[in-house]
Amino acid sequence: MKISKLLLIAFGISLFASCSNDDDNDNNNNNNDPKGNYENGFFILNEGSDTSGKGTVSFSSNDFSFFAKDAYTAANAGDLLGKFVQNIFFDGDKAYIIAGGADVINVVNRYTFKLIAKIDTGLVNPRYGVVKDGKAYVTNANTYAEWGGAWDADGNTDDYVAVIDLATNKFESKINVNTTANRIIEKNGKLYITDPNSTDKLSVVNIATKTVETPIIIGSSADTMEEKDGVLYILRGPFGSRSEIVKVKLSDKTTSTIAFPEALDGAGHMDIYKDKIYYTVSNSVYGITTTATEASTTPIVTATSVANLYGFAVNNDRIYLSDSGDYKSDSKAYIYNLTGTLQKELTVGIGPNGFYFND
Amino acid sequence: MTLRKLLFAFFVLMCQLISAQNDSVNKLKEVVVSDKNFKKYSNSQSVLKLNDSIINKNEALLTDLLNFNSTLYFKEYGRGMLSTVSFRGTTSSQTAVIWNGININSQMNGSTDFNTVSGSDYNSISVKAGGGSILYGSGAIGGTVHLNNDFGFYKRFDTNLKLDYGSFNTIGINYKTNISNEKWSAQIGFSKNSSTNDYKYLNKYTWKGEQRWNQNGQYDVITVSANLGYKLNDRNILKLYSQTSNTDRNTSLVTETEMKSKYVNGFNRNLLEYDGNFGRFSTNLKTAYIFENYQYFADNSTNNYTYGKTESLIAKADFGYALFKSTQLNGILDYNRTNGYGTGFGNHVREISSASLLVKQDFFEHWKNEFGIRKEFTNNYESPVLFSLGSSYQFSKLYNLKLNLSRNFRIPTFNDLYWEPGGNPDLKPESSYQAEIGNVFTFKNISLTQTFYYIKIKDLLQWVPGKNGIWTPQNQDNVNSYGAETLLSWKKQFGKNSFGVNASYAHTISEDDESGNQLFFVPFDKVTASVSYSRNRISTYYQFMYNGFVYTSSDNNPDQIINDYTVSNLGIDYDFKFLDSFKLGFQVLNVFNENYESLENRPMPGRNFNMYLTLKF
Repeated sequence: MKISKLLLIAFGISLFASCSNDDDNDNNNNNNDPKGNYENGFFILNEGSDTSGKGTVSFSSNDFSFFAKDAYTAANAGDLLGKFVQNIFFDGDKAYIIAGGADVINVVNRYTFKLIAKIDTGLVNPRYGVVKDGKAYVTNANTYAEWGGAWDADGNTDDYVAVIDLATNKFESKINVNTTANRIIEKNGKLYITDPNSTDKLSVVNIATKTVETPIIIGSSADTMEEKDGVLYILRGPFGSRSEIVKVKLSDKTTSTIAFPEALDGAGHMDIYKDKIYYTVSNSVYGITTTATEASTTPIVTATSVANLYGFAVNNDRIYLSDSGDYKSDSKAYIYNLTGTLQKELTVGIGPNGFYFND
Repeated sequence: MTLRKLLFAFFVLMCQLISAQNDSVNKLKEVVVSDKNFKKYSNSQSVLKLNDSIINKNEALLTDLLNFNSTLYFKEYGRGMLSTVSFRGTTSSQTAVIWNGININSQMNGSTDFNTVSGSDYNSISVKAGGGSILYGSGAIGGTVHLNNDFGFYKRFDTNLKLDYGSFNTIGINYKTNISNEKWSAQIGFSKNSSTNDYKYLNKYTWKGEQRWNQNGQYDVITVSANLGYKLNDRNILKLYSQTSNTDRNTSLVTETEMKSKYVNGFNRNLLEYDGNFGRFSTNLKTAYIFENYQYFADNSTNNYTYGKTESLIAKADFGYALFKSTQLNGILDYNRTNGYGTGFGNHVREISSASLLVKQDFFEHWKNEFGIRKEFTNNYESPVLFSLGSSYQFSKLYNLKLNLSRNFRIPTFNDLYWEPGGNPDLKPESSYQAEIGNVFTFKNISLTQTFYYIKIKDLLQWVPGKNGIWTPQNQDNVNSYGAETLLSWKKQFGKNSFGVNASYAHTISEDDESGNQLFFVPFDKVTASVSYSRNRISTYYQFMYNGFVYTSSDNNPDQIINDYTVSNLGIDYDFKFLDSFKLGFQVLNVFNENYESLENRPMPGRNFNMYLTLKF
């Protein structure tokens, strides 16, 4: 409580203080460390429209003094990231940008965004990736189940993890997960994978043996997850029934839940930051401590200008929200402080779906 | 020989582009038009008629013909790929395509893909600007495109064959035979237009420095048609139209690494028509069966596909009565039953009935009036009462004034209503009010038509993300569209030299009511022009199209536009005068090598070539 009060005061002061002072300080930092335009800030991934096939990445410095709406095109004129920019992950000085609709991962310098290579084999509808010991592990949705299609069984069982050697930027092998695969995190040599569609399992992959371990039943519609102190927190918001946070103790794979009341049906995103779990329902953000047993129904903030919350993160004492928009025109990202005061509104690209931090 | 002359006269008359004020075709009794009401009830609107000789000068698929010869704006997902239209600033499902009087827009998505239609399968193609829902039902908001097969009841046996070979392995076989006498008239047609379509993208290179080219863009469009007319006697005519088509297309890639997909679609259309004329009374009965289907292969290396198909049964009864010599009435009853099933929307049946009344009154030869009213009956949605009011007044030989006021609509499609998830069964039709004033000036060989219009469109259907991120269609936006269209034609014969000029210009403002922004993918300006010159056996022609810039996003962000482009074609042919006609021609398309695209990251080809052989015997 003390910390939050302090924070409140700090932000109160910063509101009164002129912004340019902050900017000067941060700019000085930038000047001392000229790795490129895109450091000490955050990226916003914009899927792009279906017709143009062009996803983009926006960047803002943490002090908002520098903003680039389309960082990739600025650094690589004439080249396209590809359709449906889905995820970005980092390793050393490199950033890996997944374009899910183009079956490609664009390898760039994370500070200059100059293209280094494209990984374009072994990927079929790639989704999210993580790095461990020089290798990237990327989930691939492969074929999608379509309503009534004869191959729905395939669509629901053919997802895999692509293993990519980051020294050569080449696809190495695949690990079939036998169910659907979307979000992925790595902890202690194991990959944990959720998917909101057609599965009620948390998939577990052993990196060393490249095998799938016995999955953990967590319930349907599980999407965002984060690991903290040996516990995996997973948010699921099934359509038509109660949302909940499932806690999986990684040491013994036991599960417990934080049940949500009906008022929080359709929970969307979750992020853990400094002992607090932040989660969203519609365009409201709620927070509870990681040890809480009950969900909070009092929002920290309700972003009334967000029609369809599409990207969410909490970091650097800020809450980041993005609105999907109409998927045809540029949309917006909103940055709040932890008490729900709007700090910045940014016009980004089409369909902004996530925030990633480049500190 | 008299037949030849007749034919010749027929073609010459058809050559007149703007035929709204020209009734000459009707005077040739031998020709029975497929859609009588079209002629009868379009005096107060502007009609652009494109005949054989113009169809033959363009690439086979309809997009190219209409793009270079009309005010219609197209966006293409690359050459030969999906092509959607915008007419008078409206959406792609607000232009109705009419085949011999029957609306053939897709029941699934509401629009027609103009790259799946080969122009040579028809005798003539007419473009009528403005509302036409009274006669043609859903989608006739911006205008209508008419694909007509007309019957000649006189002795003839002739064949047209056009063979094309061009860049990117583009091959065209377009064949049509007419066999007829005073009693029977038959028409058999076949067309096959294909291309590997692997053109280079001008000045575009991959990150490795390799030349980029149009990958996975091959297409093959095949259509077979057979039409049969039988004149029982002077009063009774039976007509049967049948057409089957298959379009097998891959979908060209935006980036090289994308998964290669394929889209196959086809249709089968059958129309049986009876015409009866009994003095003051006339009857026209139509029954049609229309089948359309598609298969989409997300990965064309597999056999997995999603599909949709619809079967429509249409019955139409049109009773005409001449009240006075100057006043004619038509009462039309229409029943339409469509059965649709597919991976996206399950299995649904839609039944729509409608009744309409049309009145045509010619006070004098120079003052013609039209009035129509129509109401639909269906359980699926609340349908508005439609009407149309029109007047045409010929002040002098020089000047003709046309006025038209109408209410039109577009019904929700199977996708809109039933798509899973997201389909919304509670949708209203889109509806529009439209007013237009047309000025037609005719001076010697020059004809100039200028039309000003205003369209107010309500309840535009838009797919928007709803709760849980599931997209659902809503009657959301209102649009005001207004502008001016100018059509010009001129032709002149100097001894053995004949000249022809046709031009069109459209200025279009199409604003979202709430934001005041121009609708995206609606150009403010479009210009087309063609000049032809022929002497003896040689004829040459030049085509020009200017397409103004378009916004690609609904917020009119000036950074997000498709630049304007100007494309020109040049052609020459020589008639060796074997048979009735034996023409060898050569075309340079995009002669100035313009680097352009109509959709972001969908480049069109640079300069390319085509050779053709046209035989008539």
